[in-house]
Amino acid sequence: MTVHEQARVYCPVCQAKFRFDPSWKEGDIVICPICGQRLKLKLSGQEWIGDRPEKGTEKEIRDRVDEYARLKGYIFNDMKEELLEGLLAKNKRSGDFYCPCRMEHVPEFMCPCKPTRGGDVERNGKCYCGLYWKKT
Amino acid sequence: MTNKPKVYALTTCPYCKRTRRFLDAHKIDYDCIEVDLLDDAKQDEVLDEIEKLTGRRSFPVVVVGKEIIVGHDEEKLKKALKI
Repeated sequence: MTVHEQARVYCPVCQAKFRFDPSWKEGDIVICPICGQRLKLKLSGQEWIGDRPEKGTEKEIRDRVDEYARLKGYIFNDMKEELLEGLLAKNKRSGDFYCPCRMEHVPEFMCPCKPTRGGDVERNGKCYCGLYWKKT
Repeated sequence: MTNKPKVYALTTCPYCKRTRRFLDAHKIDYDCIEVDLLDDAKQDEVLDEIEKLTGRRSFPVVVVGKEIIVGHDEEKLKKALKI
């Protein structure tokens, strides 16, 4: 089996794996289809992993938030910029883009948080902090 | 009013900022606890307090006398503060 057959890529943001496209190669930039993170592909042994090329920057979180909304068909409201400010403040103080409305600084609450990825927006019309909204 | 309103807030939460702006705009004198800036021990203590008051860990929380308002809700604030 080559590395590409049935290979998957590990995303360090949502900590999940998604299918590797055989046309991809090391160094390519791809979007995680689960959380919207931009990833630079790296081969580590037999495993594909995604690096965060703009880790901790405003560009990283803006791109991720916009990509996730695009992937899911979600929309924003007038709180978007204030929530992004909160995410940036969380990153500065706690080391990553954790939900600005939660106390817990754990990977499952990195934006988009696990409950959001698990369907909170579909169920409640919005995510916990009100960044992502279901189209009405 | 004998007791000052008390606000439990996170510094990163925009709804908490809106609540504080609303209280400031109405010149309400209040105490604010910025929960995320507390040290770990004090933070645990305050989070327990919030859970006892509201049954969850959601922000902001405003306590006005016996009224407890969770989330930024200007109508509830006006009613509780009689403004």
